[in-house]
Amino acid sequence: MVVILSEPLNIAVIIKLEPDFSEGNVSYNPNGTLNRAETKNTLGPHSAIAAHAAFFGRVMYDAKVSIGTMGPPIADLALKQAQQISDAGELHLYSDRLFAGADTLGTAEVLRVGIGKMQGKMDIVFSGHRASDGETGQTGPQTAWKLGFTFLGNVISYSVDLETRMIRAKRLISLQGSSNVIEEVEAPLPVFISIDPTYKSSYNTVSQRLAFQKYQKEATQRADNYKDYFKIFNAKELGVDETLVGLPGSPTIVYKVERVPKSTATRQSEVIDGSDPEQIRKVVAKMKEALAAMVIK
Amino acid sequence: MEKYDVAIIGGGSAGLAALKQLSHLGKQAILLEAGSKIGSKNLSGGILYSKKPKKGQITNVEQLYENFLDDAPIERKITKYILHSTSQDKVYSMDLTAAHDYQANFGYSVLLSKLNSWFAKQAEKAADKLGGGIIPGVHVKSITWNEQNGTSIIQTDELDEFEVKAIIAADGVNSEVAEMVGARKKFTPEQLFQGVKVIVKLPEDIINKRFGVSSDEGAAHLFAGDVTLNHIGGGFLYTNNDTISVGAVYHFDSQISNPTTPYSLIDTLLKNPMVSEFIKDDVPIKPEIDKNLPQEEQLRIRFAVAKLIKNWYEIREASLSSSGRDSLINSGKYKTVEEIQKSLSTLQEQMTEKFSLTFGTDYLEDEYGAKLVPDGKRCQMKKPYFKNILFVGDAAGRGVFVGPRIEGINVGIDDGVRAANAVARALDNDNFSENSLGEYYSKSVDESPFTTDMKQIDKDYLKIFLDAAKDVPKDIIGSRYGPILKMMSSGTMRGIAVKFANILGYDKLLPMIESEDTYVKVPIKLAERLGETVLSSYSPSIPSIADRIANLNYNDDSLAHIKVVNPTSEYMKKMVTLCPTKCYSEEGGKVIIQHEGCIDCGTCSQETEWRHPRGEKGIHYKYG
Repeated sequence: MVVILSEPLNIAVIIKLEPDFSEGNVSYNPNGTLNRAETKNTLGPHSAIAAHAAFFGRVMYDAKVSIGTMGPPIADLALKQAQQISDAGELHLYSDRLFAGADTLGTAEVLRVGIGKMQGKMDIVFSGHRASDGETGQTGPQTAWKLGFTFLGNVISYSVDLETRMIRAKRLISLQGSSNVIEEVEAPLPVFISIDPTYKSSYNTVSQRLAFQKYQKEATQRADNYKDYFKIFNAKELGVDETLVGLPGSPTIVYKVERVPKSTATRQSEVIDGSDPEQIRKVVAKMKEALAAMVIK
Repeated sequence: MEKYDVAIIGGGSAGLAALKQLSHLGKQAILLEAGSKIGSKNLSGGILYSKKPKKGQITNVEQLYENFLDDAPIERKITKYILHSTSQDKVYSMDLTAAHDYQANFGYSVLLSKLNSWFAKQAEKAADKLGGGIIPGVHVKSITWNEQNGTSIIQTDELDEFEVKAIIAADGVNSEVAEMVGARKKFTPEQLFQGVKVIVKLPEDIINKRFGVSSDEGAAHLFAGDVTLNHIGGGFLYTNNDTISVGAVYHFDSQISNPTTPYSLIDTLLKNPMVSEFIKDDVPIKPEIDKNLPQEEQLRIRFAVAKLIKNWYEIREASLSSSGRDSLINSGKYKTVEEIQKSLSTLQEQMTEKFSLTFGTDYLEDEYGAKLVPDGKRCQMKKPYFKNILFVGDAAGRGVFVGPRIEGINVGIDDGVRAANAVARALDNDNFSENSLGEYYSKSVDESPFTTDMKQIDKDYLKIFLDAAKDVPKDIIGSRYGPILKMMSSGTMRGIAVKFANILGYDKLLPMIESEDTYVKVPIKLAERLGETVLSSYSPSIPSIADRIANLNYNDDSLAHIKVVNPTSEYMKKMVTLCPTKCYSEEGGKVIIQHEGCIDCGTCSQETEWRHPRGEKGIHYKYG
């Protein structure tokens, strides 16, 4: 069974409400852009993975999970969905007209202040890898920077030593032209983790699985009454510096949006006669050439 | 190594009953289920009975789960049970409701995926408190014994190994536990039925009207005759709340000797005019999108149409069901039923005017599935135990299938309770030996009235059946049954005849009763001579097997869980036809498998190295 040593673990997750791109839920305008009013919203898929990673901490270390999001009042739906996954005991929505038009930096500032309002001192903050509606994967790292936490990106698994307050994490590093590398790192808490899309929690003993079931049931009960855990903050209640949030806090200027141009095919094909050894030799030579180009120099 | 008292392997109705009963008796138990969720791999016909046998004790579902009748997601209480003999568009119907009601408290139509998930919630609540519970997504791969203390060590594909004192094997008809420990051989085709089923969507109000029932009542229709395509078996159609189960069940040896693709058996049934009429509904027909339009516009129209159709189904389904209407009004979206109707017709107008959608008559199939069913008469385990392992339900080859009497789930539940009682006793005595635990359980199973029904003819049940068939002209029944029927029609003679038959033994009697005459020839003659003509107003557009598989929900396992042993054997060649999801094909005289579409039915298990997929992998049924 789970044994709680020393100080309990506090985990925060930052999430995002995103359009549901599945067929039957999404609508497009005649000009091909997304019709946001007609499209249903849901918890972003990467945010859901971050919530799963937080739940791992809940099951393994009996961690306390808090979730925060910046968004319109309807974003409470995403909080509820994330609570169902993570068994969070605290749900924060940061919502104010002042926050509108924020880029990633303006958003990171709101999240930083919001995380500060959560109960307990955070040991781990999770974010998703990126959003599905045109985000750039910067909110997480920028929030980490603002918080002053060690940033660990592309994390695929982690374990915590509660006594020494150290985290060990595996990171999936993709190198162009070569197979992926898994890097194992150790860092003192607190840390900020941006979770890799391939992250999957693994529970390897009967007792861990039983704990998993127990907390999952609790999560369902909590999510059914999510309003009991829910708190909404406006700019004033958060006490943010108004020059650092919303449009004033967002240095990014979008001056033009272009469609991704269709790439023209650059492949050149050649028909090889398989019965001719000379031709086959040519293929082998080509393959050697291609493989040699993949080696990191 | 972690240690637990009891492990139950398999989270079907029988395994869950064992967990519920053990928890009720204050014993710790964990249940391991291979599916990602309880119920995801379960499939049944299905009607769940509660029985009141004249002799002997059983535990019925509503006794084990006290809130069953109030809270369980059961479909409809079957109040009409009718057998139809078919020949083309002729149908002769016989009311067998009395046979259905025989010694029954009730029989509810059920969808097993939903129902087992409810059972799990009840059982888990009780198991939690004792440090036990349910663990889905775990596939047991081996069981060994600690020589010193006799405990079992369970190895799985997913978890660290752990130790238990006793095991209840509830892993179904293709029990891997039975095979890996050598408790019994794989069931043979003679001992099995192959069943295929589709779930058809149909709004509640339409079902009520069409079948002449109220919302909590339902009808069951059985079919024999030409719809069997000369196989020994038949079809069924059960009404659920807002779906209909249509299925075909055949003696598997009859399929082996005359292989027919399982889907064509069900397709034949769906095309029978009576069945077609039962399942028909209004359906929106998607318009062809103009290919000359810009691609973005085509995509926009496609998404818009998909969304409108989805909305239409949602509102229509709700508007044609009492609970649906209530929940729409309670949600505050609509004030009155009229408002719902109005919004539906507005939506319909929008669909036809803006996107040129049309509406026609067809049926809407939502799930295809198949399973093997053990014929209890031929394959129940004589000693349903091995060392400290007890076998229950399908895993022990148990089920009562006698003519129109079709009972499996209730037998499994009763077995599960018996096994739990035996294990609880063993825990108290700290004795898990075959002589104590195994024999105690075996004796309890022998005392079950269901066991008696798997061995002998019940003359009272037979009388009800004969009474229902009294209008059938004797010459149709032919020389084979004529004398038997004549003898059976008198009370005293019936007693003697049944006694004689039971001395003769079920083994010798069964091939006579379960024959082509009974299931095919006699029904066809009956329909031709006495049947009424039934015509259907449309021809159902039946999905191809590829479409059916595409509509199923899988979590693909990259590792194949089935290995072909002899790719040139006659049996394996028949699998090309008999696999319900067409996993087999023949190339250059050799049979090869593509396991991705497999629904774990076990049809091919006889001559393959057959395992269930690893935890969470494989098929995930929505209805079951």
